Amino acid sequence: MKIAVCIKRTPDSESRFRIAASSASIDETGLKFDIDDFASYAVEVALQLNEKQGPGETVAYAVGPDAVQETLRKAMSMGVDRAVQLKTDAVPYDGLAVAKALAAELKSGGYDLILFGKHAFDTSAGIVGTATAELLGVSCVTAATKLDIANGRGTARRELEGVAEIVEFPLPAVVTIDEGIARPRYPSLKGIMSAKKKPLETRPAQLGNVRVTVKSMALPPDRPPGRIIGEGTAAVPELVRLLQTEAKVL
Amino acid sequence: MPASKLIFIFLLAGGAGFFALNVQRLVRYMRLGHAENRTDAPLTRLKNVLTIGIGQTKIFRDPIAGAMHATIFWGFMVLTAGTIEILIQGVFTGFSYALFLPRPVFQLYAFSQDVFALLVLGAIAFAFYRRLVLHPKRLEGDKLEHTDALIILSLIGGLMVTLLLTNACQYVLDPSAIGPEKAISRGLAMAIGAVDPQPVVAARVFWWLHVLLVLAFLNYLPYSKHLHVATSLINVFFSNTSGPGQKGVMRAMDLEADVEQFGASDVEHLTWKNLLDGYSCTECGRCTAACPANITGKPLSPRKIVINTRQRLMEKGPVVTGDRMEFLHPALLHGEGDDAGATTATEVLTEHRLLDTYITEEELWACTSCRACVQECPVSIDQLDIINEMRRNLVLSESRFPEEVQPAFESLERNGSPWAFSPADRANWAEGMDIPTMAEVVARGERPDVLFWVGCMGSFDDRAKKITVAFARILKACKINFAILGQEEHCHGDPARRLGNEYLYQMLAKDTIGTLDRYEVKTIVTSCPHCFHQLGNEFPQLGGNYEVIHHSTFIERLLQDARMPLQSGEGKGLTVAYHDSCYLGRYNDIYDAPRETLRRALPVVDLIEPKRTRDRGLCCGAGGGRMFMEERVGKRINVERTEELLATGAETIAVACPFCMTMISDGVKAAQSDVPVLDIAEVVAGQLVSS
Ligand code: SF4
Ligand code: SF4
Repeated sequence: MKIAVCIKRTPDSESRFRIAASSASIDETGLKFDIDDFASYAVEVALQLNEKQGPGETVAYAVGPDAVQETLRKAMSMGVDRAVQLKTDAVPYDGLAVAKALAAELKSGGYDLILFGKHAFDTSAGIVGTATAELLGVSCVTAATKLDIANGRGTARRELEGVAEIVEFPLPAVVTIDEGIARPRYPSLKGIMSAKKKPLETRPAQLGNVRVTVKSMALPPDRPPGRIIGEGTAAVPELVRLLQTEAKVL
Repeated sequence: MPASKLIFIFLLAGGAGFFALNVQRLVRYMRLGHAENRTDAPLTRLKNVLTIGIGQTKIFRDPIAGAMHATIFWGFMVLTAGTIEILIQGVFTGFSYALFLPRPVFQLYAFSQDVFALLVLGAIAFAFYRRLVLHPKRLEGDKLEHTDALIILSLIGGLMVTLLLTNACQYVLDPSAIGPEKAISRGLAMAIGAVDPQPVVAARVFWWLHVLLVLAFLNYLPYSKHLHVATSLINVFFSNTSGPGQKGVMRAMDLEADVEQFGASDVEHLTWKNLLDGYSCTECGRCTAACPANITGKPLSPRKIVINTRQRLMEKGPVVTGDRMEFLHPALLHGEGDDAGATTATEVLTEHRLLDTYITEEELWACTSCRACVQECPVSIDQLDIINEMRRNLVLSESRFPEEVQPAFESLERNGSPWAFSPADRANWAEGMDIPTMAEVVARGERPDVLFWVGCMGSFDDRAKKITVAFARILKACKINFAILGQEEHCHGDPARRLGNEYLYQMLAKDTIGTLDRYEVKTIVTSCPHCFHQLGNEFPQLGGNYEVIHHSTFIERLLQDARMPLQSGEGKGLTVAYHDSCYLGRYNDIYDAPRETLRRALPVVDLIEPKRTRDRGLCCGAGGGRMFMEERVGKRINVERTEELLATGAETIAVACPFCMTMISDGVKAAQSDVPVLDIAEVVAGQLVSS
């Protein structure tokens, strides 16, 4: 099968974020970036599908500045065969613009399956996958927690609040991947070494009109510090009282 | 020339030739391993041969079996001289050392022959008793192995008996042939003389028996674990010579090299020395008896690791080297664990390998890298080296490791610590303590005398942070001019290295060296033995050279120089059990500094030692990256160790390592005890005047 995985480079979620002087973006100094968690699930799913189904090709795509090459290499060190960077100066916030760049590229790729993360950790918008499907005019399934392909058709499982649904769809298709579907493999040194030799193409991204931009950002208010009420059983009555009156959870 | 002489010469040449042939086969197999230079430090090597080899120092770590083995070993060395004499006699009738040795020397030699023959016989008798009646646990093995041991014991016993009888008969025939030094032979001769006053035939028979036994013994060796008789001294000579501070340093690894294989999944990825280790293993089981993983029921046995290495070599060696001596094949093949079984050559090459066929992943991940096995091995085998190389293969070549390890790797990559803490919080413990960072000091145009390397545990773990604060207070109270790296510190990569991830390790280590060199750091003090070992002993491999001091030594020196403002007064007596950290003790030979620190800091202290202590100390279970893995099989190592510490009845348990702190504290909780666990720095800080 020919599978494309579209990945994003995002900062580590454990980072302590600060807002940049422009107040419309985060301050990137000192932040560690890596492949987005959801995107890494998508890569893993793609690799497993091709391993199971025999010969195929897995290609990773990323939109962004040269820094995304590192992310693409990471995907290749996991086992993706080759990668394409759609070069821009910065990743626009407008998901539709990104989707247009991807769709323009994927259109002629002849892919059976195009995978995305459900959404990216930094924007949590979840637009690019669905918009790309729309632009390509193929079927689209979002937030899959299980994915099987057989005889040109796909079956996906989606977890909803209190229920799980199984959906069926024809290929080609776009599927966005939820967490928990597979544990992304850890690249071996062998993988890292061979990734250095795999082809990585760079082409200018044909972004659509960027219509949505971030105007300003604010950090969430500090959480009030925890309070120690006392120790041992003596503290229980006071704890219960506070849970009732202050926290109002009892 | 009489026919008997011809037959003898023929037999001798045949026996020696067959032995040489087998030795040559074994050497050829051994050369499948990687090249490695083991001829540096010849003096240390010689010293090791004299002490560990000839002196049998490590054998004596088990006093009873030690005395037994040493008697046989020394007896063997002495009696070999006698055997050579007898063999020469076979060619040159009437030959004797007396012909050229000064009289007193010869007398001493003759006396030693008699005495040692008897001593060895006694030791052999005890060995039989031990194997057949006592059944020590560590000698448990398969049936083949047991039979092997009994055969060897019988052969040696036979050698001694025939030697004594040959001498006795000679005395009966010619009383002038043997002087009064051989009292035992003369005693025997009386008995023989009473039965047969002219034992001409008996003398020939015993002589021939002795000669045949010598040749049988020699040629049995390559088919037996008793090959160690021939290889152990050689093995000790080539063993790792690194002294204190260089022990347990993992092999350097060139990651730039254009190779397909990282680490070892089969014998040819090991070095020839690892393979020689296989030949030299006496299967004594001392390593496994000391192994914390094995003691607590994990599937790991360092003895099995070594035996499996040899088994696999014996399986693969003949096929790869095109050995035509197929009929000699099962030399040394017997072993431990599931036997790979007889197979075709193709199967041997394509379906079998050391990993998986012989040694499982579970065994390799159970190791705490505590070095107890290496410490115990009487012939200086390095079991841990094989384990480490195989872990490297698992991670670097095959990306196989316990699930729990992946978050640790990822966190190391992203956050610079094995736990998912924000790097921004690294120096939170220092808030309000007025401790300068390196950057601040250097910005003022100054240089601190020492860098306090806090380590990831000391920076993020709530319990360990208290140790960090205690040690920082000591430094301040002693007016030490020090600084920390603060947010510029990140893991040096040791956990990754121990877990086989050399790639991640080198990335983190090189980065750390960059930071340290940028600040021209010369002296580092740290309260973590793992950091201590890594920064001081392994960084030089990557070009980072610093004087690194563990806080136990540092505090001891401060106390020695009376630089510490300690509370005076009697104080109440305290009994303390100190738990040795592996990376401080067995890796760096630091046993006394923490104990001395406790003695000097506490006015009245009674140090009591647990059953296993100092270089025999039992690991807490956290080393070798075990800290980041679940312990699902068997008893928990930390519980086993804590029970031992609690059994001393001590009022306080002292540790000198933040990892030990976590493990032993958990162990105390599991035992529902309320004995406090304190780091030596906390004990000392509690005695500071200001507190
Ligand atoms: S290093 Fe320790 S845990 Fe590992 S095999 Fe040796 S004794 Fe066992
Ligand atoms: S490796 Fe050493 S300690 Fe272990 S069984 Fe072999 S000889 Fe004995």
